[in-house]
Amino acid sequence: MPGGRSMRLIFWSVVWFNLLFLAIPTLIIVVASFTAGEIISFPPEGLSLRWYGELLDRGFQGAFLRSLEVAVLCTLVSLPVGTLAAIALVRYRLRGAAAWQVFLLLPFTVPLIVSGLGMMLVFGEIGILGQLWPVGVATCIINLPFMIWSVASSVNALDPDLEHAAANCGAPPLQAFLTVTLPAVMPGVITGGLIMFILAFNEFIVSLMLVDARIVTLPVLIYNSIRSVITPDLAAVSVVYILIAVVAIWLLDRLVGLEIFLKSK
Amino acid sequence: MPSTRSFRYPLTWRLLDLAEEARRLLWPARWRRAVPYGLLLPAILLVGVIVAGLGYMADYSLRELDRSTFLLAEEYSLANFRTIAERPVYLRILWRSLLAAVIVTAICLVLAFPYAYMMVRTASPWARKALLIGLFLPFFIGQVVRAYGWLIVLGQQGLLNSALGWLGLGSVDVIYSYPGVLIGLVQYMLPFAVLMLAPAITAIPEDMELASQGLGARWPATLWHVVLPMAKPGLVAAGVVVFTITLTDFAIPEILGGGTTDFIANAIYDGFFAISDAGLGSALAVMLVALASFLVAVIFALVGVGTLGYVAERSR
Repeated sequence: MPGGRSMRLIFWSVVWFNLLFLAIPTLIIVVASFTAGEIISFPPEGLSLRWYGELLDRGFQGAFLRSLEVAVLCTLVSLPVGTLAAIALVRYRLRGAAAWQVFLLLPFTVPLIVSGLGMMLVFGEIGILGQLWPVGVATCIINLPFMIWSVASSVNALDPDLEHAAANCGAPPLQAFLTVTLPAVMPGVITGGLIMFILAFNEFIVSLMLVDARIVTLPVLIYNSIRSVITPDLAAVSVVYILIAVVAIWLLDRLVGLEIFLKSK
Repeated sequence: MPSTRSFRYPLTWRLLDLAEEARRLLWPARWRRAVPYGLLLPAILLVGVIVAGLGYMADYSLRELDRSTFLLAEEYSLANFRTIAERPVYLRILWRSLLAAVIVTAICLVLAFPYAYMMVRTASPWARKALLIGLFLPFFIGQVVRAYGWLIVLGQQGLLNSALGWLGLGSVDVIYSYPGVLIGLVQYMLPFAVLMLAPAITAIPEDMELASQGLGARWPATLWHVVLPMAKPGLVAAGVVVFTITLTDFAIPEILGGGTTDFIANAIYDGFFAISDAGLGSALAVMLVALASFLVAVIFALVGVGTLGYVAERSR
């Protein structure tokens, strides 16, 4: 690595500060979830698993399952939509390519609060507000750029001559797509799919606009339960989120390797 | 005796042929030129929902709330925008959000650069993996859960105040204050910033830095004249993402600000749900979209799309 010892010292100090800063809320939630007291205090008043009993609560389980449903639906919709869009953007000469690119970045550039309220109005108008599946579609829409980015970086890395070779050897378009293009961009598809799942499972602000009391999702339930006195009842529920994040990271690392995010386009 | 068993056409081939036949029926060869647009269509339709929503909000923003019927007026006027201009509270909220976006962007870039640089340049695969996990763990835990974590850390009886009390230093009110919101926002945005920066740093050949050093530049000079200019696409992308998301964030100011430090998004939400004036809320939303788009457009015009674009430069 270039740079002298003083540079390394300064940079690593910042890195350690960042690691600690990033980890603090997560660590503290895990600690708080094992507290025995009615309120969170430091040092904790003894250890217990009593707050994990909250996980058996009906309201929590319903919200958990609904969030899961939303996340699965979001992933199922975004996998084909995002993959095809990324291939179209990178592989083909499109009329007005720059404009399409800007258009497909809209979910990212339009503030989430505005997208959420706008979809609330649209869904209300066509009479699908109050159902769960539109929430899944909405989380897919607002996070679609993440899917397209993931797949596009794989398509960018794929040598077009491979597809030409397949065509040259007589593979009709669909066969070339299924046997050459798709397997080659699979790392991007898997990465994007996992990210879409996690983002939808965590989605808060748009869900807040689109759900009512009957179909509340888990992040909205947590938000509604936060009171001015901080109690540990939410800590155990939050630990579920931490565990799911850990599993997702492990999967991502096993399937494609986290290092994929360091690749330059 | 030579085998007379005929060659069996494998099942997967049959299926592929069938699929190909179906494709020919659904999408004849003479439509070949339309293929990319067909591939793009589902995504365009989905994103179109956002555009439709923007249309509704633009429409609402021009219609004043009738206080007697609590319906929006049929005829268009600029009354909502006039109301916003007349109430100093909205200017204060706008200023507060913009200032937060500037501060958080500056802090995030300063903190993210060494992290991204070390993550890319370190020789140890273990260190690299640990830094990636340290990044993805908070990224994959939603905003609400992280805000809850900060409430525990910064709250009145939280970790920070307990530690200060232990040391006999009294207590500080970080929660439900501007600094508390800023801390939460920096922690929320830091992984985004690093993830946007890292590919740009990967793209810088290490030889460049070594050459600069070999020619006698000390590391601050190398950093300033070689690394930072070459990392510009990443810095731009990270800056734009952090700035716009901070400017428009709802959850962190709502949960960590406790109603004392509303941002624009909170004012829009209150417009719709607290004072039930969808017209006023929409007018605020239109202004926020205009402001965010204008700022992003200026930055893109000045320094390019950075690493935010979907298509890599060389494959154009």
